[in-house]
Amino acid sequence: MELHLARPRGSGGDGSRVRAAWLMLLPVLLGLLVFAVYPSIYVVGLSFTKSTLGQPFKAWIGWSNYRWLLFGGDEIFVPSLLRAALFSFGVALVELWLGLWLALLLTSLQRAGRLVRSIMLLPLMTPPVLVGIAWKLLLAPGGGLVNGKLLSLGLVDTPVSFLGTQPWALLSVMVADAWQWTPFVAILGYAALRQVPDDIIEAALLDGANERAVFWKIQLPMTAPLLLAIFVLRLIMAFKTFDLLYILTFGGPGSSTDMAGFTIWRTALRNFDVGAAAAETVLFAGFVSVAILPFLWLHRRVERNAS
Amino acid sequence: MTVSTVVERGRFGGKGATRRGKASIPTAEAESSFVRRGLSLLGVGLYAGFFLLPIAFLISLTFKTRDEVLLGQFFTSKPTLENWWKAFEFINLTGFIGHSVLIASLSAVLTLALATPATYAVTRLQHGELVGSLVLSSYIAPPVVALLPLFFLMRWLGLLNSFAGMILVYGLMNVPVAYWLLRGFIAKIPAALDEAAWVDGAGFFKTFLVISLPLLVPGIVATGLISLILAYNEFLFASLFAQDDSVRGLTVAISLFQGDRFVNFGQMAVASIAGIVPVYLIALFFQNHLIGGLMSGSVK
Repeated sequence: MELHLARPRGSGGDGSRVRAAWLMLLPVLLGLLVFAVYPSIYVVGLSFTKSTLGQPFKAWIGWSNYRWLLFGGDEIFVPSLLRAALFSFGVALVELWLGLWLALLLTSLQRAGRLVRSIMLLPLMTPPVLVGIAWKLLLAPGGGLVNGKLLSLGLVDTPVSFLGTQPWALLSVMVADAWQWTPFVAILGYAALRQVPDDIIEAALLDGANERAVFWKIQLPMTAPLLLAIFVLRLIMAFKTFDLLYILTFGGPGSSTDMAGFTIWRTALRNFDVGAAAAETVLFAGFVSVAILPFLWLHRRVERNAS
Repeated sequence: MTVSTVVERGRFGGKGATRRGKASIPTAEAESSFVRRGLSLLGVGLYAGFFLLPIAFLISLTFKTRDEVLLGQFFTSKPTLENWWKAFEFINLTGFIGHSVLIASLSAVLTLALATPATYAVTRLQHGELVGSLVLSSYIAPPVVALLPLFFLMRWLGLLNSFAGMILVYGLMNVPVAYWLLRGFIAKIPAALDEAAWVDGAGFFKTFLVISLPLLVPGIVATGLISLILAYNEFLFASLFAQDDSVRGLTVAISLFQGDRFVNFGQMAVASIAGIVPVYLIALFFQNHLIGGLMSGSVK
């Protein structure tokens, strides 16, 4: 491949080119050091200590933060890990399905498609905090549009507290998330679908295949590696969800919408137990890697098989 | 019809044959395709409605009085502008939005300055892809991992509650995304162009500046805008690193107003809409860049 032209035909400029390239990489490597390497080491160290915001590394306490989180006392963190996984896989799957459907619709529309594309960009660009505000106002028991409509249509007698009762609270967060990110999947899915050469589809249609068969037998298999990549990307992003939870439910009611990222924040900045928060962070990072690695591996396999 | 007849038609009949094939579709089938088109338009309409609804409801809230908000309906019989001037009077909205815009745009410049040369170098180096995957894998970790370490680091450096600190944090934070987006654009530049320049005696950095950079402009615009929007929208880091009113950005300011009993639904909606306007303006004017950028990142 053309990527390896950097070391061609041992001419004099070769070494200096490699040196220049590494020099251009240097700032990013420093950035990695500050943003990835240092935080990882620091958090691991912190997790074995009793720490507060004012006094990090106050006292060395060995494994006791981990013991407390995993085997005794704490009843919030481990469920919040599992809930984060449930939420992330749930929204990633739903968004992949809806987004792909939207992408297929886009490929079948020409001029109207452009307008829809512009509309789709809006949720994607909206700050998640404001997505939360918008949905909070829509779902509010007093003055929210959803309850207003349900009441005036006579479907309910008293307003539903969507964000204050389960399972509505978790579902509401998922709907708001899907609102924001389905367009993202649709745009990437549309790009993936366009990779399939038109003449293959035309030939199949001429052969009498219907659109359903074209999708399942041609478009889906040919775009599988890209679709899987989109799924993994959404999975990674969904594990990071914080803003929506902060605005919509603050982890409530009780701790029923608490997800690990938010739990960590609360442990550190509401309960000021920085050491325990660090231990939670280490466990969370490990958990996310274990949850995502199989899909990265699968993606690599599928990509290799496709090429 | 079999594959071979299609091939034959393609070979001997060319386009004319294909067109004839399409013209001979019976009318019933044409009708069903008309119905299908109608159905897909309906589907698109439903989607568009779903995507517009929350924003449209926010806008309608901004024109409602406190009493009318409680009715929970979409339209209002007596729209008022009171919320608008009250929100701007009680909340330093222009200040918060200004802080956000300043931090976001300068951090986007920093992201580009770091990521563009680095991505170029990665694609042209023999073992560069390794660095690339390192950069990308740093994106997997949830940002909350870096929250506390960066907080202590920034406090030590005296960068808390400063524009410089926020710009640095966001500038670095978005490098993996920028790498992911730029890679697609750079891969499209033929390496032979660089080679020709090297043969003519230009150095690596000069080749990048003079040959590749001008060709990358669309990619750089798209990447810069996406980095800008990501920084503008960010909340977690901002909520801890920029707590002072003198640097506080819009997302944090708004998160503080919810729950404030002096700010009602209508004013909240005004603040939200005002905060969304800058990003929507970007979306409106640069939508082709943005969509092109996202698509290029995903399909390489």
